[in-house]
Amino acid sequence: MNELLYNLAVMIDDTQWSTLLHESYYMYNWVESTHVLTLMVSIGILFLIDLRMLGYAFPDVPASKIAARLNTPMLIGFVVMFITGILLFYAVPVRTTQSVWFRIKMVLLVACAVNAFLFHKRMNESVASWDNEPRAPKRIRTGAMLSLVFWSVVVMCGRFIAYDWFDCDRDPNALISFVAGCVDGQTRY
Amino acid sequence: MLTSVYEQNKRTLITSAVLLLAIAFAYSDLRLTIYGALMPMFEWFETTPFGYVGKTWGAAFATVQAVHLVGLGVLGGAVIAADGRLLGLLLSDVPAKTVVDRSHRVFVWALIALLATGIFMACGVAMKIYYLPVYWYKMLALGAGMLFHFYIRKPLLAHDIDTLNPVVVKLVAIASILVWFMVAATGRWIGFSG
Amino acid sequence: MNDSDKPMTDPIKDRKDDETAALLVAQAFIIFSGIYWFLQLESVRELLELAYG
Repeated sequence: MNELLYNLAVMIDDTQWSTLLHESYYMYNWVESTHVLTLMVSIGILFLIDLRMLGYAFPDVPASKIAARLNTPMLIGFVVMFITGILLFYAVPVRTTQSVWFRIKMVLLVACAVNAFLFHKRMNESVASWDNEPRAPKRIRTGAMLSLVFWSVVVMCGRFIAYDWFDCDRDPNALISFVAGCVDGQTRY
Repeated sequence: MLTSVYEQNKRTLITSAVLLLAIAFAYSDLRLTIYGALMPMFEWFETTPFGYVGKTWGAAFATVQAVHLVGLGVLGGAVIAADGRLLGLLLSDVPAKTVVDRSHRVFVWALIALLATGIFMACGVAMKIYYLPVYWYKMLALGAGMLFHFYIRKPLLAHDIDTLNPVVVKLVAIASILVWFMVAATGRWIGFSG
Repeated sequence: MNDSDKPMTDPIKDRKDDETAALLVAQAFIIFSGIYWFLQLESVRELLELAYG
């Protein structure tokens, strides 16, 4: 599996556009900055919704209204983050594929998606009975709390990808090497 | 007479004076004098416990950086919710005053987190950032943003928003988004420089 | 300080003052941002033109 991922990453790395994007100082930094700055739209608004459920923000505005009205700008933010994220991966495919932090981030993104799905499902089922309460019921609060924690760790992992502590070319220990998916005899990093 | 004119236009006069002083400062030698005088302070930053931890413990620095980013996200959310409402783009069925006031609370907490983590990070790389023009742009944008938020925007929006000139309200919302975007963008560029 | 000790201010004039100050700063920020980002983009464009023609 790791070998397959490595070969796939090498294949992407061999494409001209990947090299061009990686080596373009302004374009790469522009994409990277857009990815980071869109945090202010996507995660910023998501956290406002989560904080509303926990009773820390907009306690006197109906929860369903906050969730529904802020949904579209939040999704626009996430779409931009997703596109720029793919471009960042495309520019540095091998190192990113073998980054421990990137792998943890991907797993957490799946967890975030599942949590968001369950959160919305539970909310839609019960919101009529607590919409005007300053704090949502415990089940919803747990979902909001998980969302805050998961996304904070996603941001943290995203930030850590830039550091080379556990890169495959630094001969990491067996556990890190296993999690990062370092391949024996790999020539590309 | 003069006292009465001053009293009635206090905020406008003080604001005009600050803007004129800012322009004069940008073109005067005082700027370079202050820049030089600040150097010992930045050298001292690196010797503080924050500076020591920031320089020697990479993981701690990176974690604080990540918390700084989360804080930036929350601040951005609060700015977009409030200014989006003032522009009539978001939450238009919730009273503007409610959105602005509730967002302000979140904004203040996020700003406190950003300042705390920002000071820690600055101590770790004090001499690097001292020589980076983009760092000073960020500090100027941050100072301008905070003054604007607390001295201009907050008192303005404390009035009944429906009675305010809608053009002024919209311009204030655009300026607020621009200034905090500027703070974030220049902050991000610090990482690419030096 | 008691409320009665505060100088009497006209709420409408007070509002006008806050509006004028806000208009002044908001315009300054918007104009400054426009010039700043235009110059930034222009300098990048010139740099790329020098590098690649």
